[in-house]
Amino acid sequence: MKRYLRLHRIFVVQYLKKLMEYKVDFLLGAIGLLITQAIQILFLGIIFSQIPSLIGYTFPQILFIYGFSLIPKSLDHLLTDNLWMVGYRIVRKGEFDKYLTRPINTLFHVVSENFCVDAFGEMLSCILLLGYSIPQLDMPFHWYTIPLALVAVVFATLIYTSLKIMTAAIAFWTKASGHIIHMLYMVNDFSKYPVTIYNKAVQTIITYVIPFAFTAYYPASYFLTGKNPLFCIGGTVIAGTVMFALAVFVWNRGLRAYESVGS
Amino acid sequence: MENMIYAENLRKEFKKIIKEPGLKGSVKSLFHPKKEIVKAVDGISFEVPKGEILGFIGPNGAGKSTVIKMLTGILMPTSGMCRINGKIPQEDRKNYVREIGVVFGQRTQLWWDLALRETYAVLKEIYQVPDDQYQKRMAFLNEVLELDSFITSPVRTLSLGQRMRADIAASLLHSPKVLFLDEPTIGLDVVVKDNIRNAIMEINKEEGTTVILTTHDLADIELLCERIVMIDKGKKVFDGGISELKCNFGDVRTLEFELVNAPDFKLLDYHRRFHLTEDELSAERDGSLACVRFDTAEVSVEDVISYTLSTVHVKDLNIKSVEIEEIIKRLYRREVSL
Amino acid sequence: MSRIKRFFRTYKPFTRAGMQEMIAYRANFICHLIGEIMAAFIMYFVWKAVFLSSDSETFMGFTMEDMVVYIFITFLTGYMTYSDGAFAVGEEIIDGSIAMRMIKPCSFEMCFLFQELGSRLISISMIFVPMVAGVEIYRYAVCGEVRFQIGYFLLYIVSLLLAYMISFYFNVCYGFMAFFFKNLWGTTLIKETLVSFLSGAIIPLAFMPSGLAAVLNILPFASLSYTPVMIYMGMYSTSQILWSFGLQIFWVVVMYGVTKLIWRSAVRHLSVQGG
Repeated sequence: MKRYLRLHRIFVVQYLKKLMEYKVDFLLGAIGLLITQAIQILFLGIIFSQIPSLIGYTFPQILFIYGFSLIPKSLDHLLTDNLWMVGYRIVRKGEFDKYLTRPINTLFHVVSENFCVDAFGEMLSCILLLGYSIPQLDMPFHWYTIPLALVAVVFATLIYTSLKIMTAAIAFWTKASGHIIHMLYMVNDFSKYPVTIYNKAVQTIITYVIPFAFTAYYPASYFLTGKNPLFCIGGTVIAGTVMFALAVFVWNRGLRAYESVGS
Repeated sequence: MENMIYAENLRKEFKKIIKEPGLKGSVKSLFHPKKEIVKAVDGISFEVPKGEILGFIGPNGAGKSTVIKMLTGILMPTSGMCRINGKIPQEDRKNYVREIGVVFGQRTQLWWDLALRETYAVLKEIYQVPDDQYQKRMAFLNEVLELDSFITSPVRTLSLGQRMRADIAASLLHSPKVLFLDEPTIGLDVVVKDNIRNAIMEINKEEGTTVILTTHDLADIELLCERIVMIDKGKKVFDGGISELKCNFGDVRTLEFELVNAPDFKLLDYHRRFHLTEDELSAERDGSLACVRFDTAEVSVEDVISYTLSTVHVKDLNIKSVEIEEIIKRLYRREVSL
Repeated sequence: MSRIKRFFRTYKPFTRAGMQEMIAYRANFICHLIGEIMAAFIMYFVWKAVFLSSDSETFMGFTMEDMVVYIFITFLTGYMTYSDGAFAVGEEIIDGSIAMRMIKPCSFEMCFLFQELGSRLISISMIFVPMVAGVEIYRYAVCGEVRFQIGYFLLYIVSLLLAYMISFYFNVCYGFMAFFFKNLWGTTLIKETLVSFLSGAIIPLAFMPSGLAAVLNILPFASLSYTPVMIYMGMYSTSQILWSFGLQIFWVVVMYGVTKLIWRSAVRHLSVQGG
């Protein structure tokens, strides 16, 4: 474990060095993500200029849920962006060979090789949203709120990353799966709003099948109301654990099916 | 001697979707994708003793790379097994790859944007090479592969020859017991090729590293390998020493006679004189040269010379010894059956 | 006449290639499509919640029915006018194969255009008809009468074609940005977000402050999505429709001109580089 942390640090340092060469690209990526979020917020702002609350949620509450959804999203984005490349290029071009000839865990190696600082654009929007909404909300606060929040964030990120690992691993069978990861990202957008706006079918899917609702709405609603901690936080922990176990399983099966490319 | 590498009945099958040409074909494959099973490697067995350099040759698409990828643990064999240094690659990959070095000539294993020195520092961590050993190792590799002049440049700026040397050094950083080189001299100029061959030889001699290399450059084989395994269409077609290859496939010689009178060439009729077919002996005229190529199992050098000298006036004579390239070319063309 | 014939004969293979490519990558295409449709459904649910939470039947002049038509027809329009030109041009610039375009006896952007046309033909057959049918069935179910008007629909098709041309040339121009940036990911994200905002795809322009809406209406982005959608919905009067067509044609011409200008300077740039 210690060795892996050390390796991860080395990869990050190397990546940051490389980043200095591509400053402009990084900046544009971060700005792009910031603008994307800003326009979404503007959209919500226009809606709330006409109605006082959206099926019982006030503007600050909606912003809090929205902001909370960006925490696991941006962390995942920051740490595991290379999985996209697994889906799009690394497997298809046979570049995955390299990882298999190294004496460290392939998943760790692939993931830690890249460090996507563009995610700071999302992090910044997330901080602004939470910073703006929290003071306006009367949220219950106890000594355990902060530790629980940390637990929720860790496991919410794990749900996110696990789903990304699974979809990226599909490439081991199909050569490329970038578009499936993309589809997953679109499903993830459902988690930005309270699940109560959706019909039963959608609610069931994003709770029990692709548990994105646990990456944002459920934990966020616990922090908003203090109700249902067992389901909201416990569910996040369970979903995160189950998804991660499943992801590792799928990944390892994928390694066996990997075909490389003829040369 | 103990065997370092042991492969038994290795097979690898791939599924391939066949698409018929044209728009009609695309639509057809949309509804009825035709699948075909391709046997990339079809039951290959061989052994490599410790410290040997084995050449792995065969035409494009013969399955060389697939075998290497199974031996290195990248691909799962469809059936059969291989054991290297007592370990089965697919069973305990992480521990196994610590003891091998792999270079794919077509593709770098280095980090594209990092300076070469940084790349080695990262690899040092990955392979957990202790500091003092790392220093010694770098000094040694530096000496053998002459990395000094470009060790601070980013990998993407290296020339192909530099990159290949860098890649080979990277594969040797952790002192592997077995080195797999997949086309290590591809696309390089003669000087760099020579440099790389010397380095491989030196490492093999100094450290007793077992080396398997695939190549299309037969000079690599003649200069480096004691033994070759030749495969074609996924099957092993030859396994043995180079002298054995020459012996097995006949000792082909070429004699060049420089004629005093070039038109005299038509007086020479070897086929009738020795009762040989065109395959067994070929005679061609090249200016004033008569080039006669034949198998010494069919007719002796002495007989050919004496017949020629007694038939025409000869100014000069040149005996060319057999070249492995010739044999392999014939093998590729399937002139030689096994 | 024979010139036109020759023109089509030159570019027909590109269209076929585009169709083949689409079929070969059908899985990608379907995943992408499903992803995009999901985004439209999220919008649908958000608006449904908005109307549920609102006391009045309309939201800034839009009924729920209007909103549903707006969301899905906007989605369809965006999908139909989406152009890969930027990506194709960018990729060729980065790997240097754009130089090959200059030695071929055909216009470089026409090759892209006709290739894209091939894939568009397939998307039309797979998405266009079901989407329009779905929207109209929904409208019928809600209002109890057929709201579909063939006249507006035909005008929409014309406007859609013009929108596609603007989108195509705009994206080809944008693709030339690859000369300046090694990685187009960040700029593409900015471009796509801004375009979808400025074109009214996220928020109908009618919901924006009137001054801003007036400016946005004139910019080329409204012509990409908002204009065709408004025509489909029958929200525009005859004079507004004529004015919109004029504006769309104007922007097609401008974008075409800019593309030609950039291409000409790019050719010079390349030949200088080549020495």
